[in-house]
Amino acid sequence: MVRYASFLGCQIPMRIPSIEIASRKVFEKIGLEAVDLLGYSCCPEPVISRLLDKTAWLAVSARNLALAEELGLDLMTLCNGCYETLVETNEVLKHEPEELHKINEILKPYGKEYAGEVKVKHAVEVLYEEIGVDKIKQHVVKPQRIRVALHYGCHMYREPNGGDINRKPNMMKELTRVTGVEIVDYGIERLCCGYPSMQADEEFSLKQRLLLKLRHIKEAGVDAVVLSCPACQIQFEIGQIMLKQYGVQYRIPCINLMELMAISFGVSSKDLHLEFHKSPVLQLAQKMEAT
Amino acid sequence: MISENEIIAYLKQELGEDLIEASKPRERRVFVRIKVTTLRKAVNTMKRRFQTLRFMTISVVDHGLDFEFLYHFHVDGAVVTLRSEKRKEDNTLESIVDIIPAANFIEREIGELFGIKLVNHPKPQYLILTKDWPDDKRPLRRPLEGELPKQARPVAEALISTSCVAPISAFMQKKREEAGLPKTPPFAFTDEKAMQEFHGIMKDTSFAKKAGFDWKKKRLRHK
Repeated sequence: MVRYASFLGCQIPMRIPSIEIASRKVFEKIGLEAVDLLGYSCCPEPVISRLLDKTAWLAVSARNLALAEELGLDLMTLCNGCYETLVETNEVLKHEPEELHKINEILKPYGKEYAGEVKVKHAVEVLYEEIGVDKIKQHVVKPQRIRVALHYGCHMYREPNGGDINRKPNMMKELTRVTGVEIVDYGIERLCCGYPSMQADEEFSLKQRLLLKLRHIKEAGVDAVVLSCPACQIQFEIGQIMLKQYGVQYRIPCINLMELMAISFGVSSKDLHLEFHKSPVLQLAQKMEAT
Repeated sequence: MISENEIIAYLKQELGEDLIEASKPRERRVFVRIKVTTLRKAVNTMKRRFQTLRFMTISVVDHGLDFEFLYHFHVDGAVVTLRSEKRKEDNTLESIVDIIPAANFIEREIGELFGIKLVNHPKPQYLILTKDWPDDKRPLRRPLEGELPKQARPVAEALISTSCVAPISAFMQKKREEAGLPKTPPFAFTDEKAMQEFHGIMKDTSFAKKAGFDWKKKRLRHK
């Protein structure tokens, strides 16, 4: 059985736990053991913390990596933001011995040490590379006959050591296709949803980023947007509500890949508790169940 | 001629743990960082020991959340600066005029240009500004703000206080239980030891200080 330390991050368990429920059900079905990382903290989030104090950013991240190392497991994350922080800090700690030494001196009084032995992977990579599309396909009992647009999220394109930035987005595309949906290209997949710029300029974030995406997605005539990043998910869902103040109204369901996969595996919308969503995901799932 | 090392050694001996660090970046230049509460004692100590002591001036730097006070002295050909920091919320400066009378005018300048209340100054009136100058508009005073832009403060506050950028509400805990999940995920805030580790890192690095976190009140010093 494939085993990973599971890094849930902040947003999924605290804001959209239906993604946590869905991922636990999906992992169980496909034979992936996700071991909870006890005592973990925020990754820490990749925008503010890195800019404010790089040493703290590395040290908090190294503590999380050390927790996985103590379990003797590699680390898997469901969140794109956590992926970026953990991958990038891991690269620094693995390849810059002076930095690793400095960070371990900070961790030492707390009985922690990171040796640089952990690999960090996004859940999309683990599912694609270690479980495989064919095996996942065997569990699809309810192929979903809907049209969807994909939003991969900026951090999904992060690739250490100059690798192919489309590697993980392509994996996500193939994993989404396994659920039976038709993927519709809308042309601006790479554009940021605007989540990070919300903290700097809300109007810019909503009107110059999210609204552009929503317009293209709507014009593509899809039933839903599929995402893998909880921060993007929040931006798409809350952003649609906030856009009303600018006289713009959208109600596009925004579903996480794990939830879509769980539904295609036959898990009911009731068991997934899709009511946590702020967009009509529950209504979409109920409609899919009825057909 | 007294050496830089002898000056540092003497101050270390007299001030003990109140001396935080001392350095001599170049010949005849000494910086000594001390706790602000020991400032008068340090000045007294220097005056007592160094007969050629000459007071030069006081500089103040408004760092946004804290004031840094730099007292410059000339000792036997060396310039010795006593540095100390104080939270701006305190907004007072204890006068050293009774020890060093020459500090009289510069303390008055500091008081009026930064809006700092002088304590035990013999004549704390304005020196430069007009009498009707508004109290809330001091020429050299910055607003009470740290390095974080306003929009980023709630995230930093949540991260430092709870180890998580999206703290869980009682409502969400209940909803999680109803959904068959543990009330909270296995976050650091659910484990005392893990939380001590996390808070230790926040303190040992400059993160909490740069963010302006108040550990007693468990929130940022500015909104």
